[in-house]
Amino acid sequence: MSENKELSKRTEGMMERQQNLATVAPVVDIYENDDEILLHADMPGVSKENVSVNVDNGTLEITGIRNLHVEGARSWAEFGDVEYRRVFSVPQTIDVGKVDAELKDGTLQLHLPKAEAAKPRTIEIRSA
Amino acid sequence: MWTRMSEIDRLFSAMDLLRSSNLDRSYGEGSGWRVVGGFPKTNMYDNGDSFQVIAELPGVSKEDLNIRIQGNYLELSGTLKSDVPEGYKAHRVERNTSTFSRSFTLDAEVDADRVEAVLRNGLLTLVMPKAESAKLKQITIN
Repeated sequence: MSENKELSKRTEGMMERQQNLATVAPVVDIYENDDEILLHADMPGVSKENVSVNVDNGTLEITGIRNLHVEGARSWAEFGDVEYRRVFSVPQTIDVGKVDAELKDGTLQLHLPKAEAAKPRTIEIRSA
Repeated sequence: MWTRMSEIDRLFSAMDLLRSSNLDRSYGEGSGWRVVGGFPKTNMYDNGDSFQVIAELPGVSKEDLNIRIQGNYLELSGTLKSDVPEGYKAHRVERNTSTFSRSFTLDAEVDADRVEAVLRNGLLTLVMPKAESAKLKQITIN
């Protein structure tokens, strides 16, 4: 029993992929304006420490691990411990250095700013 | 009104019983049970002295959530607000915006005054102590 507890404690701290954890794609909203792409992903029950966001070579990967830690006799369960994971293709013009992520009420809000060169520009017409 | 609601709930909780025999069903395959469950998804635990309900409520702030309890009737309702900032063009919208309401009949009455509710990271945890009258009592034999 005590050994068991120690084992589970050790896995809690790890961001590594856990065994036997169902992988679920979080639902997302994607918005865009002239300055950035904005992505909202629902990951209820995932704490900040268990979220990771990777942007690499035109690929954006978001993952989050949820451990419920509940005791007591289960009467019913419609959800459980999961690994949220979803991969997107993003334009190469994203300014990776300025990506900003915030976790609010279980929703990951990801701001992906466009590089200056990729922003639309209004060209002024000179009179000849 | 209340009684009628609980009749319906009793019907659903019978279905819940059936469902609990196959617990992992709600994830993965889109089985018909989803319709019964609806939003928000919940888990229910019995801790002996109390019931514990956890519910998935991503993007819901505590101002937009109502919890009502009467006897053994529990109702979760609220609003899923759109959090789109102005001036953005939508590419993909998978998250719902609507009002929601879900009600449950608990196996025993609870002490509504001592219920604790915590909303954290989009997960609501409700701990509802069972009413004194609903607790098991040891009877001393004379």
